[in-house]
Amino acid sequence: MAIDDKVGRDAWEKLGDFFRARSIWMMWYCTGCGAIEMPPTMTSRFDMERLGMGPMATPRQADVLLITGYLSTKTLRRVIYSYEQMQDPKYIVAFGSCAINGGIYFDSYATINKLDDYLPVDLYIAGCMPRPEAIMNAFNTLQQSIRKGEADGWKRYKKNSEFYKENQRKAIGEVFVHDEFHE
Amino acid sequence: MTNSTSNSIENLKDLLTKHYDIKEFEEPIALQLAFNIDKESALDALAFLKSQGFGQLSLLTCIDWIESGQFQLVYILMNWDNGIHLQLRTFLDRDKPVFKTIQHIYPGVKYYERDVHEFFGVEFEGNEESYQHLFLEMWTADPPMRKDFDPVKYSDDKYSMREYTTEFPTKIGGK
Repeated sequence: MAIDDKVGRDAWEKLGDFFRARSIWMMWYCTGCGAIEMPPTMTSRFDMERLGMGPMATPRQADVLLITGYLSTKTLRRVIYSYEQMQDPKYIVAFGSCAINGGIYFDSYATINKLDDYLPVDLYIAGCMPRPEAIMNAFNTLQQSIRKGEADGWKRYKKNSEFYKENQRKAIGEVFVHDEFHE
Repeated sequence: MTNSTSNSIENLKDLLTKHYDIKEFEEPIALQLAFNIDKESALDALAFLKSQGFGQLSLLTCIDWIESGQFQLVYILMNWDNGIHLQLRTFLDRDKPVFKTIQHIYPGVKYYERDVHEFFGVEFEGNEESYQHLFLEMWTADPPMRKDFDPVKYSDDKYSMREYTTEFPTKIGGK
């Protein structure tokens, strides 16, 4: 294993990351318009499975959460729920300009502008929306950074939890779903 | 089966002017009819129209006429027997936007009334659920679809923007 270890992992973590990078389960949760780029990425045209990635129906068994587009505050609340249900290690890939800086919704009262204030993003894909080629390329980059131990968003989320919780409170108030389906 | 001639737009106009005080009708395109009615007789007219075959309430929405100080409620109805779409509009006072629910006529209006209450602040007496939030959870500012609400200011206050240290050219080719 020729892995230069700048991030200070022991041998077991290195071994774990080596295998994790080859079996990534993607959570089936789509927000915004980027969801439409996923079917060609997953199916035979681009075939995500040749990278060892597959869709997973529940957050408890998924490794990567894709934020596929703009996030309204209502959706952000559910995304935080889902992210916190996922087990470590977990990664976030954010698609498109809306997650980066708000995109064309920068002035909307209902959408956030900068995702990494609220959740630790491991990888951003530029574009509006990124084509499946860009998504495949990003998955490749994600695999490499997992193998090197650089995709450490889940560690940052724990370490800076006060920062993230503060920002979440500022944008959406309480991170608790109050609606007729939950009460 | 209803006779198409007896239920045409002209007949509908005659029928409505006979019962209600309606000054003018608009026909934006074929098989569409729109009119304004005062808010006292709007509920009665909706019940009457339902009995005339307008069984579907397609939409309830609202327009903020800030210059004349009024809200305009728009009920869009459809008759599946002859394909006529009908817009019934009524004005409310912008300072005191209170109207009555039409849940007893069209039960499906429950969610539209919640929507209009949430985005415009119009209250619907009799619909207790209209006070629950539908899209904007824990919203504390003014209703956002009112014309005097400033979304840019709200967004800037609440959601931080990304700061760029590099200056990117905004024009192509120019200096």
